[in-house]
Amino acid sequence: MARLSLSARLAITFVVITVACFSAVGFLLFEAAARRIHEQDDTNLVLATRHLRRFVAELDSPADVAAHQDRLIIGVLGDTNNALRIMDDAGHVLVERNPSRLPMANKAMVPPEQRIVSADVQSWRDADDHEIRGVSAGGRPRDGTTVTIVVARSLADRALLLSRYRRDTILALTAGMLVAVLLSYLLVRRALRPLRSMAASASAVTAHRLSTRMPADDVPAELQTLSVALNDMLGRIEDGFARVWQFTVDLAHDLRTPIGNLRGANEVALTRPRSTEEYQLLLGSNIEECDRVSRTIESVLFLARADSPQFALQRVIIDAGEELQRIADYFEGLSSEAGITVQVAANALVHADRELFRRAVSNLLSNALRYTPAGGTIAMRAMDTERGVEVSVENPGAGIPPEHMAHLFDRFYRVDRSRSDSAHSTGLGLSIVKSIMELHDGDVVAQSERQGITRFTLTFPKSSAVG
Amino acid sequence: MRLLVIEDEKKAGEYLKKGLEESGFTVDVASNGIDGLHLALEDDYDLIVLDVMLPGIDGWAVLTRLRTKKDTPVLLLTAMDELEERVKGLELGGDDYLVKPFAFVELLARIRTLLRRGPPRDIEHMHIGDLEIDAVRRRVRRAGQRIDLTPREFSLLQLLARRRGEVLSRTQIASYVWDMNFDSDTNVVEVAIRRLRVKIDDGHDIKLIHTVRGMGYVLDEEREAS
Repeated sequence: MARLSLSARLAITFVVITVACFSAVGFLLFEAAARRIHEQDDTNLVLATRHLRRFVAELDSPADVAAHQDRLIIGVLGDTNNALRIMDDAGHVLVERNPSRLPMANKAMVPPEQRIVSADVQSWRDADDHEIRGVSAGGRPRDGTTVTIVVARSLADRALLLSRYRRDTILALTAGMLVAVLLSYLLVRRALRPLRSMAASASAVTAHRLSTRMPADDVPAELQTLSVALNDMLGRIEDGFARVWQFTVDLAHDLRTPIGNLRGANEVALTRPRSTEEYQLLLGSNIEECDRVSRTIESVLFLARADSPQFALQRVIIDAGEELQRIADYFEGLSSEAGITVQVAANALVHADRELFRRAVSNLLSNALRYTPAGGTIAMRAMDTERGVEVSVENPGAGIPPEHMAHLFDRFYRVDRSRSDSAHSTGLGLSIVKSIMELHDGDVVAQSERQGITRFTLTFPKSSAVG
Repeated sequence: MRLLVIEDEKKAGEYLKKGLEESGFTVDVASNGIDGLHLALEDDYDLIVLDVMLPGIDGWAVLTRLRTKKDTPVLLLTAMDELEERVKGLELGGDDYLVKPFAFVELLARIRTLLRRGPPRDIEHMHIGDLEIDAVRRRVRRAGQRIDLTPREFSLLQLLARRRGEVLSRTQIASYVWDMNFDSDTNVVEVAIRRLRVKIDDGHDIKLIHTVRGMGYVLDEEREAS
């Protein structure tokens, strides 16, 4: 059953419902018709008997009843299925009309003074087991004697009628059901057509053709939600693929430069004999290039590991002020050589991974140092806010052009690709900051103001704040 | 001092042997786990440098079997920098752990530390040529002249002095002096050394702080120009 198609299942369900409804309605209609006919027959019997009783009451004696046989018969009966017998109190038949030769059973008689009602109709059967219904009632001619009036009706014709009616009903029901089955199957198939076209679209999606989308316009409302959701998912996957692809290209490009340098410098060195000093210089430079490759690889691995769900943070309570001071201290030589002042103003405790906290803030500070002109002041702050602990690094300078803002945290994105210090910068520093903040369920925001003030703010949400 | 290097990569084995021999060690190289384990059990080495990724039986298996018989110090080399790997290595009886690619000077420093067995002595008074370092009072004199150093500069000088003659990489220096344990892409250490050098060496004919290009820095009285 579980293997059946949705169309088949829906069609079968419809058929079952149709059959059940048709059968129930057919059965009820048939029963109602049968009951109506019986009631009508019984009423006719009762009315005929009453009529005969009144007629008899106007006659003088049983002999007079026998004499008016024809009028009695004509006034009451017109059907071969009906039978009439009137007997005197000794049991002699005065009037007899029984073309179908129905057995006229002697049933309890309704007394002459008692009103005849439907409940007085009695039932018996003939030799062929057909039901016969009849009324036996007393009548009283003027001489005061009692006659027995029996009016009976065979239901054989009714049985025939009802059996024909039953057969017609069953035929009509069967035909109706067949039509319903066919129509419901066709309708279901038609209703599910958008689903099949969605399946076809979905099967056309491959890693190379991620731009395929589900039809979303001419589908029913129920499927539109699904369509939109699937399209959104496809969009995200496509985006992810594009990023991975771009990342691979950038990584390859980034590695190509140091490897090109290595190869070129070595080839040039080998073209003729050199002094020991020259060889030493070359080897030293080779090691620097290797370090550059190693740094890139280490950063890429860090980002990959940070993306994996198994990455385990070792959160401890950190005095942000102490850490910012330590980082400022680490960069003290660099900043004072560049004529830059680093100010720290912090009073907050953060629940974070110490190594990662240092790494994120160091990346921001080294970034700030790179863009701050001599004589400038970099401000490092940490404070408790409603959202959590905010750690910011703010530096004066040229500011970040708006077109770069959206890409600042992209991997290998460099605002100024021609900068001479690209040998030092991996272009992954800010991506690493972002990854670290994501690991802490926080975020990093960059702002560049008109006066050329650039501010990076790390937010460690309340859950990572202490107290 | 006899060292055994178990390393399947031919080039790596060669340069490790050369570098370690030039640093004064006697070195044997095994290119697979079975030979390595055999040598390690038959001979008495002072230390084993063991690559984890080996064909046949891997480094973990070599270490496990070695530890059932011997306590030779083992320095593990691995390409995988995962915390689990580190923990596994140390649980199996490894003494230290180094992730590839590593700076040769760092390997050398780790080997020396393991062979020294115990932390370096805290020397109260150190003399390198005419440089005097008083670790207790945190004072430095050169040719009798008092030199004022910031606390970080003092820590840096103290580190170089304790490891005199040993090349220290930038990463090692950042880690010891500032407790920054990640590879920074800035030249913080270069600048710090430059500033220290101005205070220590400027105005003196004999320079004490030397740059070993591409590798790091060394404090020594005599060093061939490089």
